[in-house]
Amino acid sequence: MIELEGPLGKSDAVNRELVSLERELSTLRKNAAIDPFGLYLYGLVLKEKGSDSLARTVLVEAVNSYPWNWNAWSELQSLCTTIDSLNSLNLNNHWMKDFFLASAYQELRMHNESLAKYENLLGTFGFSNYIQAEIAKARYSLREFEQVEAIFEELLRNDPYRVEDMDMYSNVLYAKECFSALSYLAHRVFMTDKYRPESCCIIGNYYSLKGQHEKSVMYFRRALKLNKNYLSAWTLMGHEFVEMKNIPAAVDAYRRAVDINSCDYRAWYGLGQTYEMMGMPFYALHYFRKSVFLQPNDSRLWIAMAQCYDTERLSMLEEAIKCYRRAANCNDREAIALHRLAKLHYELGRPEEAAFYYKKDMERMEAEEREGPNMVEALLYLATYYKAQKRFEEAEAYCTRLLDYTGPEKETAKSLLRGMRTAQSNIPSMDVEHLPP
Amino acid sequence: MAGIVKPPGAFAITPHKVSVCILLQIYAPSVQISLPFPFSSVAQHNRLGLFLLALTKSCDDILEPKLDELIRQLREVCGLLHDWFIDHLTSRLSSISSPDDLFNFFTDMRGILGGPESGVMEDDQVILDPGSNLGMFLRRCILAFNLLSFEGVCHLLTNIGHYCKEALSSCPSYEATCLEDSNSNLEALLEYENMDLENLVFEKVTEEIEARKSASETVPFHLHAPQTLFGLVEDIEVLVDVKPKQGDKDREASSYVHPPNDTSRDFEPNCGIFLRSNWQIQGYLQEQADAIEKNGSCVSLNSFELILRRLHKLAPELHRVHFLRYLNSLCHDDYFAALENLHRYFDYSAGTEGIDIVPPASGCNNFGRYEIALLFLGMMHFRFGHPKQALEVLTEAVCVSQQQSNDTCLAFTLAAVCNMLSEIGVSSTSGILGSSFSPSTSIGISLSVQQQLFVLLRGSLKRAESLKLKRLVTSNHLAKAKFDLTHVQRPLLSFGPKASMKLKTCPINVCKELRLSSHLISEFGSESSTMTTDGAFSTVWLKNLQNPLGSVVSSQENGSGSNTNAFQFYAQPSSIPGSVLQLIGSSYLLRATAWEIYGSSSDAALAYVKLIQHLAVFRGYKEAFAAIKIAEEKFLSVSKSRILLLKLQLLHEHNLHLGNLKLAQKVCDELGVLASSVTGVDMELKTEASLRHARTLLAANQFSEAAAVAHSLFCMCYKFNLQVENATVLLLLAEIHKRSGNAVLGLPYALASLSFCQSFNLDLLRASATLTLAELWLSLGSNHAKRALSLIHGAFPMILGHGGLELCARAYIAEAKCYLSDPSFSVFDNPEVVLNPLRQASIELQVLEYHELAAEAFYLMAIVFHKLGQFEEREEAAASFQKHMMALENPQQEQRFLFNI
Repeated sequence: MIELEGPLGKSDAVNRELVSLERELSTLRKNAAIDPFGLYLYGLVLKEKGSDSLARTVLVEAVNSYPWNWNAWSELQSLCTTIDSLNSLNLNNHWMKDFFLASAYQELRMHNESLAKYENLLGTFGFSNYIQAEIAKARYSLREFEQVEAIFEELLRNDPYRVEDMDMYSNVLYAKECFSALSYLAHRVFMTDKYRPESCCIIGNYYSLKGQHEKSVMYFRRALKLNKNYLSAWTLMGHEFVEMKNIPAAVDAYRRAVDINSCDYRAWYGLGQTYEMMGMPFYALHYFRKSVFLQPNDSRLWIAMAQCYDTERLSMLEEAIKCYRRAANCNDREAIALHRLAKLHYELGRPEEAAFYYKKDMERMEAEEREGPNMVEALLYLATYYKAQKRFEEAEAYCTRLLDYTGPEKETAKSLLRGMRTAQSNIPSMDVEHLPP
Repeated sequence: MAGIVKPPGAFAITPHKVSVCILLQIYAPSVQISLPFPFSSVAQHNRLGLFLLALTKSCDDILEPKLDELIRQLREVCGLLHDWFIDHLTSRLSSISSPDDLFNFFTDMRGILGGPESGVMEDDQVILDPGSNLGMFLRRCILAFNLLSFEGVCHLLTNIGHYCKEALSSCPSYEATCLEDSNSNLEALLEYENMDLENLVFEKVTEEIEARKSASETVPFHLHAPQTLFGLVEDIEVLVDVKPKQGDKDREASSYVHPPNDTSRDFEPNCGIFLRSNWQIQGYLQEQADAIEKNGSCVSLNSFELILRRLHKLAPELHRVHFLRYLNSLCHDDYFAALENLHRYFDYSAGTEGIDIVPPASGCNNFGRYEIALLFLGMMHFRFGHPKQALEVLTEAVCVSQQQSNDTCLAFTLAAVCNMLSEIGVSSTSGILGSSFSPSTSIGISLSVQQQLFVLLRGSLKRAESLKLKRLVTSNHLAKAKFDLTHVQRPLLSFGPKASMKLKTCPINVCKELRLSSHLISEFGSESSTMTTDGAFSTVWLKNLQNPLGSVVSSQENGSGSNTNAFQFYAQPSSIPGSVLQLIGSSYLLRATAWEIYGSSSDAALAYVKLIQHLAVFRGYKEAFAAIKIAEEKFLSVSKSRILLLKLQLLHEHNLHLGNLKLAQKVCDELGVLASSVTGVDMELKTEASLRHARTLLAANQFSEAAAVAHSLFCMCYKFNLQVENATVLLLLAEIHKRSGNAVLGLPYALASLSFCQSFNLDLLRASATLTLAELWLSLGSNHAKRALSLIHGAFPMILGHGGLELCARAYIAEAKCYLSDPSFSVFDNPEVVLNPLRQASIELQVLEYHELAAEAFYLMAIVFHKLGQFEEREEAAASFQKHMMALENPQQEQRFLFNI
């Protein structure tokens, strides 16, 4: 067994005895002189050697004859990268299988299925912290941060020394910018065990939130030294490097995350953003495409991609429109998509579409009770549009709403109203003239 | 086991080195004899010494030869004695069966080293000086062995077992004798057969990489940038393919000793045990990159990918592997893998790994050099036939390199854009080059694509010159030469009616550019010969040695295997009638060999194509087809399309002449298909295809259809400013009218074509137009015969000097017809005036297999003979006439020959 030099010091090991191990284990298996743990070992060797399908078969044998070996399950899961390979497994019915499936669904980004399984399991194992944490994970992936926070608070009450999965809690706190809660959490895990990658990651998150990026990077580095395949630490470190304007380091960190697990859409997204920052929108598109492929229901990704197409240099507006439309369909929280859609359609000279999207955008703002320049813009456009369409009632309604705002638009609205009134007073008389006798 | 003993300086003892040691022992046995046992002469002894020297020099090579290879080399070098050597070597190797044997072996080896303590040196004794090359090698081996842990010794023993076994299994003659010896080991060996021992020294590698990184040493790795760039270009008339490294010596030998497939085989799992230093791996990768770029198909996609994957697993920080994977998938047209690997490579290396670019003074190193990534991505898209994306990416590259003030990258990018513009033709770019195209917007006026191309070329050239990028300057000169050759120049921006509108191609410009470029190439060649190639040079050593030594033994092998080709022998000694062909052909041949020495197969192919075209025009189709066969063997898969194109062209001409019109049309259609490939419409090819279509129709006497096609072709050429083609099409129209019997209508076309030719200095075409004009006059009636004759005589010098067989024959026949139709001419007075040209024409047309014209010539001859009362000759001519007419009627008979090609 030989250690190799990794990016953060010696880490990887290459085992040169795999061949002889495999030979020994395979003869044992042939002679049926192997127990489930031996099978598990054999599966590991096979996986390391790259013969995945045989490894899957052997691991299935292992878990079928002894279902309580979770390591065997998780190795098996790491070999199931598609839903098809998962479904093709020939597994005996056992409650361990449910745990396995739930976790596998999670990994395959089928979060709702996974959540259902876990909630089902929670009925049986009511006090399991593990299941709680997994549910939190699934909800986190579904971006339901409030629930996640509640679950973690509960978890910490039950198990004050818990470190596992707490990095996710810290992510939630980070996203909600809860400084004190995050620092409290960091302190807590630090006291419990400061040499856990999760602890380092939480501390890194804390420093990041405080804007001390160098320190943050140091802790992420430490986390990675403890576990170099710690996916989220790579990605988060990438974010830090972006903040520090160290582009090559950021790209490198993201790329390592992607190479550890090519399904990490955040890292792909990070790569795309980094390249976009450098003024290489076309190059960035490749990465956004990847991330969007992995997470097609995330409006942020679609918007990022759309903005690439929307740049002055590329100005591939049709493609941008397509992306914005996808984003709008994915419950776009920041409400960028509708507004841009309306604007783009307007610029491309499609007034009906523009009006449609302005209206949608406005309805949305009304529902969320948001005001702002976008609202004014939408109202103004709709007013002029309906006026041009000679639908004066609607136009008037929008104009009167505009009067509530201050600024130049108010004057425009007034003049619009005046214009409409004069037009309306003329029209009836003209109609009379043109009435057929 | 992590704390493994590091061998000093990555010099690990391997079975191959043990073999060399054994040979050293033969060379200098410790016994005191002046001439050791097996040698019968000092020369023999010296030869082995030289061979050993070469072996020790090349011991840093990444791939050590296997035993069978060594045996083969021995056989070549040592002549008669090889049997004894090989026997001794194999028996000695297989006698090593325990660690103790190895210990004893190396203790013995110490004995052959002379030392200061050895006292009096006897005159005759062969002693290795410890300071000599061989002595040093031996000392290093002994030291390396002494540093091995017991485990290491065991590994070495196992490896020796493998090493012998492989060789023995591959050379059956020794199997029988040696199997007994190794039989006892065999089972033990089997046990370890698949064992993976590569990593023994691998820590070293990554360490070195780190060291290099920290020293921020630039490793010349993307030296290929311009090459990939121009490797993509298929159609450019004359294009440089600059080979920065490796002199010509290397080129000659490389195909001989180490066929690339062989090297990849060496890497297969159970023998790739001896990976060594970073240096060597870099060298190996460099070599492979060269091989791929020279001839992509020589590396098999999967096996090389396998090697690279293993390399990557062992050296995760060696990002260059990703680049090789990119190259590999690129040349095997695997778009997705190429894209993936390209991105991965540049993500990791940030474009800063090994560039031959001087880092700019401003400290923008922090940023990385992602513009290079864009440049590569653009070229990749272009290669895969996505010109639109390519242009998009290259535009981005221009912007980013401007932002980063990376002038070098900018120059290369501009050159890439130029290439693309000249490649994808005018029609398909016009849409793309709209608002989004920024590099030349500074000029502010909307320019035609050709003008834009010219501006870009000049910009790139200027930048390249100021940055002293010789390769780029050279290729820019060549691109400009091509531009000058194919485009008619007019003042770039002309205002008002006063601006001169002289349209001219300028041959002097072309020549100037060509000379400039070749000058630069030679300059570059002399410069690069002083450069040493990293890693690769240790390999070269042995290869070079191989040539002079092996030349005696294996000269016949050399003839067929190496690049100095059979074709050359074929073409050179044949004494050629027209001195023209010799001159032009040999110049092309010279260029072909020059390209070959330079290592670019695509340019060599181009030169061959030109040569074959000349063969077809001047020597007839048989020779051309024979030559094409050779060329096809030579460029089997490389630039297939160009050879294919040539074949189609020749087939079309040939069938037209044979009168096999259906087949001709079929071939013509295929040409048309080739014209609109994925990369966009190739305008040149498209015009050619429709020109050929019109000619086929004309040959089928479908005059109105032919005229329609020619007319639309003329419109297209006019629209896209293809002036040279315009002249050709006009001439064709004149021809059509002549054939259809409307000589009066044909005259204006011929005159127009003539004036085109005059203004563009198209001398040969002008001669051909003059001939057509004469024929037109002649067909207007016999009273114009004198005028026609004078026209023909005026064009004769050009036609005879530079024209092909067909043109000459046509001129001769026309001349004869002029005489015959001239009322003042009497055959009886001077029959030879008519008969001579007719004979000449008939000979040439028979070579060309142009049945129709040949029949005409014989017909005229027969009539003249009849008039003269020479009936025997008349019958002969009539028979020939009949033969050609028959052949014209039944073209099927000759098809068999054609399809065999």
